[in-house]
Amino acid sequence: MLIIIPAYNEQQSIEKVVSSLREHAPFADCLVINDCSTDSTRMILRRLGASYLDLAFNLGIGGCVQSGYLYAAENGYDIAVQFDGDGQHDASFIERLIEPILAGDCDYAIGSRFLDGAEQGFRSTGSRRIGIKLLSGLIRIFAGVSVRDVTSGFRAANRRVIELFSREYAQDYPEPEAIVAAAMKSFRIAEVPVVMHERCGGKSSINAFRSFYYILKVSLAVMLRRFSAKGVN
Amino acid sequence: MVPALRYALLLAVALYFVILFHILSRRRLNLKYSLLWIVSGFLMLIIGVFPEIMTFLTRLIGIKEPANGLFALVCFCIIIILMSITAIVTTLNEKCTRLVQTVAILEKRIRELEGRPAAPEDADIFEKTGF
Repeated sequence: MLIIIPAYNEQQSIEKVVSSLREHAPFADCLVINDCSTDSTRMILRRLGASYLDLAFNLGIGGCVQSGYLYAAENGYDIAVQFDGDGQHDASFIERLIEPILAGDCDYAIGSRFLDGAEQGFRSTGSRRIGIKLLSGLIRIFAGVSVRDVTSGFRAANRRVIELFSREYAQDYPEPEAIVAAAMKSFRIAEVPVVMHERCGGKSSINAFRSFYYILKVSLAVMLRRFSAKGVN
Repeated sequence: MVPALRYALLLAVALYFVILFHILSRRRLNLKYSLLWIVSGFLMLIIGVFPEIMTFLTRLIGIKEPANGLFALVCFCIIIILMSITAIVTTLNEKCTRLVQTVAILEKRIRELEGRPAAPEDADIFEKTGF
């Protein structure tokens, strides 16, 4: 199993993230993907002796995570877990997240903040939750899958989904699109309740100005995927 | 179409083809990408030689002046070329992303084959040099 950790300027949190993964998921390999950070992220990774990829250009979250899937596909990993480098995710939930995949109940598991059993912890701000609801509804209509926390970056994928994502993965704001891409290939998607924390350092990639672009772009992508999938069938 | 406009158009088209040929012969432009430019050039040439076509077409869609029709046509050509450029950039972008990812994976392999980065003494050097 491979844990993919995208990291862009995460010098304040990456050490904590790596050590908590080593503690809670010693059975897995960790791969930090340094997306051309301008701070000391890479130096910290070297000091920790962590396994990492160094991207020559900043690819953004999509290209960054995809290199992890590409690495997982090339090195024959059965399961890949996506785990943010900013300290939002809780490593103790990894076992619960991969459970349905190990049991063969689903191909793609999404760690969700909004399910029963995940009441505590950080659940994003009001306006973002409205945006998440909107996208969730859109994905239900166009992709026919019910996922509540569509923007969650805490996910686990089995071998077949790893191969799909290593071939095609959206480049910016890829989380909701990845769900649609998997759904279009008839992969089984499940949500697992998890608790998230507030980021312990760095800045969110989503600010107020970008949220509008986010919603618009993802909505368009979701619909486009639906129609192009119809065209192929 | 007034004769002056027609001659100006012909002159512009001639200059256009000279420049296009020059760029193509110096291989500064991939022939594959130049097809749209060549097609648009010929379109302008045909209109310059037979302005009646433009007059007929503009009347057909309710534009009074053939000159305005010409403008609309040029705009249309430019939009098509811009779209094709966006498509080309998208392909390039995808190739570049894949290249960066592949290089990163290879770089990791080399790093591990050389067996260097895990040693903490190495990290000290990086810290001292402020790398």
